[in-house]
Amino acid sequence: MALVCRKGLNAFSLGILIPILILDNVTEILGSNHLALFHTKGNYYIYNIYFLLSTPLFFVLFASMLDGTRRDKRRLFWTGAAVEVFLVINYFFIQGRYDVDTFSAQLISLACIILSCLVLTRLAIRKDDEGGLLQDPIFWVNAMILLFNLVSLIVLGIYKFIIQNGLEISHKNLYIAIMPAANAVLYSGYSYAFLLCQLQRSK
Amino acid sequence: MPASKEQIITTILAVIIVLLFFGILFLAMLRYYNYRRRQAAREKREMQAIFDQQLTQARLEIQEQTFTYLAEEIHDNVGQLLSLATIQLSSFREEENIDFHLLNAARENVGRSLQELRDLAKGMHSGHILAFNIRAAVDEEVQRITRTGDIHISVTSEGQEYRIKDDRQLILFRIIQECLQNCLKHACASSINIGFTWFSGQLRVRIRDDGKGFDAEHTLRHSTGLGLQNILNRARLTGGSCSIQSRPGEGATVTVQVPFE
Repeated sequence: MALVCRKGLNAFSLGILIPILILDNVTEILGSNHLALFHTKGNYYIYNIYFLLSTPLFFVLFASMLDGTRRDKRRLFWTGAAVEVFLVINYFFIQGRYDVDTFSAQLISLACIILSCLVLTRLAIRKDDEGGLLQDPIFWVNAMILLFNLVSLIVLGIYKFIIQNGLEISHKNLYIAIMPAANAVLYSGYSYAFLLCQLQRSK
Repeated sequence: MPASKEQIITTILAVIIVLLFFGILFLAMLRYYNYRRRQAAREKREMQAIFDQQLTQARLEIQEQTFTYLAEEIHDNVGQLLSLATIQLSSFREEENIDFHLLNAARENVGRSLQELRDLAKGMHSGHILAFNIRAAVDEEVQRITRTGDIHISVTSEGQEYRIKDDRQLILFRIIQECLQNCLKHACASSINIGFTWFSGQLRVRIRDDGKGFDAEHTLRHSTGLGLQNILNRARLTGGSCSIQSRPGEGATVTVQVPFE
């Protein structure tokens, strides 16, 4: 859908979402078929690499959505660089490559929550045309990122605890029970935002 | 499932729900804030449009008044003098001796006409008004009006005089000019006082006449003419204020307060 609406996305400076979504898809495909493709037991290292690769892309996305001054962009760049450095250190030295990097997941979720709140606040302050917030694709993208990360901050943060203690709802692992619903909401919101981009561009 | 696990799951779900609740609340608050902001912006735009419309209307009215004023001045003063000069000059015949007394009178009338036209031009031309400070420009206007001898106008000033910004000075001068014209045309006043009071960043000008007065409140509310409204609108354009006080038989006082900084 993002590929179909790519012109609309570019018009709203959301084009960077396309590589993010491609990376998501590739990661999920590799993560689900790791046994057949790589003959490995665990797939955490795939998601850990995903954390490393997706974070700079998310920072680029937030920089384009914030549309701030050069100084704001520089600040965001250094924040992103600091986060990335921590992710690399965590990947190699703290939690390691083959264990799920919950610290990285929590830091990314936290950064996404803060940045999406910033974008949303700026949007609410700046936007004074007739369309309103609900007609703005950037609002939907950020609202969904915010809600998704509020959930993932908890669920991914205690992922090891969930696995170790076998926390389940209706015989389903708590992670498996919650995250697909959160993902469904996230991608529905993205889809609506893409449609809005395309509609408003054609208008 | 052990009870402790159930409690942990319930707690985790509760935390997620609370976080989501706050997230949704935040989004709702942003939307409400943005809605109020857009509403305020829309109202501001509407008010601006109304103000622009009023301003255009006032400008047209001022222009119309200026044309009327010019026509009256030319007809009543210059026109009369030139007519008289024409009559005087037409009485000369080629075959007759020249009556130098009559010729001088005609020359004087033409000269007065020229002077009247110059004064009129000075009063209308903004460059000439801005060449002086407000007090000097008003003094010159007063001299021009009192030359007819029908009215006494005094100008007083309190406090240290300052230079007002050009655009404000011009607007203030036009207000005073309008007030003087009103005194001459409608008030049948025999004396007018123009008082300048300078104080902390503001100039207050009070134009007081001893004419027949009028019901100011009623006139401002019900009159179709825009003369008084123009005075109020012009004062507002300077970022200042204006009040008009009058009662039948008690003269009128127009007070204009303009920031000069």
